[in-house]
Amino acid sequence: MAEQTQGAVPLSAVIADAATGVALALRGEGGPYALSGILRHNDALTPAAVRVLGADALAPYAMEHRGAPVGPEDEAVVRQALAAYPPGADASEVSRWTYRGLVEASHAFLPAGAQPWPAPPEAATGWVDSTPWPKLSHRVSQLAALALPKLAPGLAEQLTARTDDLSRGFVRAVRRRDWLQAAGLGRWLARLPDVAPTLGLDSGLAFVRQMGGADPRVALHVVAAQRFYGRGW
Amino acid sequence: MTGGRGDPGLLDRMVRGSLGWLDEARGFFRLPPNVTTDADPNLTLKPLGELAELTQLIGVLHPRDEIRQAARGLFAFAWNETRDGELFAELIHGEPFATYPVELYGTFAQAGLRHADADALVQTTTRLRGWRVAREDHTRTLNVLNAERRLGLRQHADFASVLALTGLGRLPEPWTLDRKSVYGVTHDVFHLTDWGRNRQRLSPEFAGYLRLWLPSWLDTWLEEEMWDLVGELLAVTACLPAAPFDPVAWQRLATAQAADGSVPEIGAAPSSGDPAEAFLACYHSTLVTAFAATLARIACDEAEAGPVAGDPALVGGRTPCESENAP
Repeated sequence: MAEQTQGAVPLSAVIADAATGVALALRGEGGPYALSGILRHNDALTPAAVRVLGADALAPYAMEHRGAPVGPEDEAVVRQALAAYPPGADASEVSRWTYRGLVEASHAFLPAGAQPWPAPPEAATGWVDSTPWPKLSHRVSQLAALALPKLAPGLAEQLTARTDDLSRGFVRAVRRRDWLQAAGLGRWLARLPDVAPTLGLDSGLAFVRQMGGADPRVALHVVAAQRFYGRGW
Repeated sequence: MTGGRGDPGLLDRMVRGSLGWLDEARGFFRLPPNVTTDADPNLTLKPLGELAELTQLIGVLHPRDEIRQAARGLFAFAWNETRDGELFAELIHGEPFATYPVELYGTFAQAGLRHADADALVQTTTRLRGWRVAREDHTRTLNVLNAERRLGLRQHADFASVLALTGLGRLPEPWTLDRKSVYGVTHDVFHLTDWGRNRQRLSPEFAGYLRLWLPSWLDTWLEEEMWDLVGELLAVTACLPAAPFDPVAWQRLATAQAADGSVPEIGAAPSSGDPAEAFLACYHSTLVTAFAATLARIACDEAEAGPVAGDPALVGGRTPCESENAP
């Protein structure tokens, strides 16, 4: 990431590099994690990249032995993203929830500091009960970064009732070779308590990593499932 | 997949439409004079065998009398095409160690239709050690075992042991199943339950597995518009205890059925106007649709009235089963 010329690197590449950095940190490799080390405060694309990664930008801070303390630069990167991309009045549920995820992660994993973190914005859960399973699965996979300890406990509780449906979504995603969706769903299923043994979640996560791990976001989800919930080979 | 009582009106229209088209297509099911010599069995015996297997079932089990009558007419036509079973004696004479003539004959034998020469031949051929050598795959072996049972012969292997080796028996990770393996699982269920006549043979473990994963497989093959597989998956769904009814999947299959009652195997029916081409593209899926809609209709009635353990139609079609109480 360092020394890249502004404007020459597309946002997707910045996100991919940052996801690689997060996954590396979750594996316990690559030295102590600092958000501002993988996404620099003065890089124009940093706020957007943090907004897209959401809570995952702070995932390494959720580990018990994270190494380096959080510095003012790291905190500034988060505040900048929160200020730049708040969900609008007509924002989608996914947009609201990913933003909320970043706020919740700031509360949960970062020190309070001099300035308090903003309150998590309201995000509805009515759709969890009412959405047909294929659409529900797609949406939940987009919220994969919320499958972190302490985040979105209410959402997790509601999703528990849809465990079988999300498992069907995992099957569907693998059959479609939609590895990102499969990895995101697999990560959520790793957090949920009653996944059917016949799904083969552990082997499924390993399979998704083998098949789709070239995408750093896929690798990140699989690593997070293993690091925080002990699922996957 | 939602529960509920299903849509008997839709299901009956689909069966009637399918049987109507099949009836019109009798000419294409007719066996050519060279059926026992150089005709392609995939174009002759296979279609007739499927017609017989599924119309026999519909003719016994469908709750509506006029549908049973239509199916029985087609089943009688199929038996007539075998020249009252003489065909099987000729086929077995020509290929004494092939399983397919015995499997085909078993379809008729379950309805009490027998041919003395064919019976004498199978008594000998199926007792050979050579007959017990594994052929094809485990799923196909289940069909051979069923044929032996239907013919009153000693089964050459233990049904449960063979089942344990199949795609259903091994309970594979549901995301590993491709088209061929899903097809295999549906036929494992058909052979285990004798095409839905003995749905109680589905163990709670198998039923739970299928109930959980059928919706994902249905979604995949609906998207591919593989209507024969969709029909087979819906038939398997109807074999589950307190069978769920998936209104979306049924509506999609109903939409794929043309006004003349035919259901194409994949996507849309061929538009060339060649009736022989249309027959080959549609006969299998059309039969499967009639079969699936019959099983789903029976499940509807059960949901309405509670389990039908005492239903004379079902008891009449029930197979005596050596391993019904097996774990």
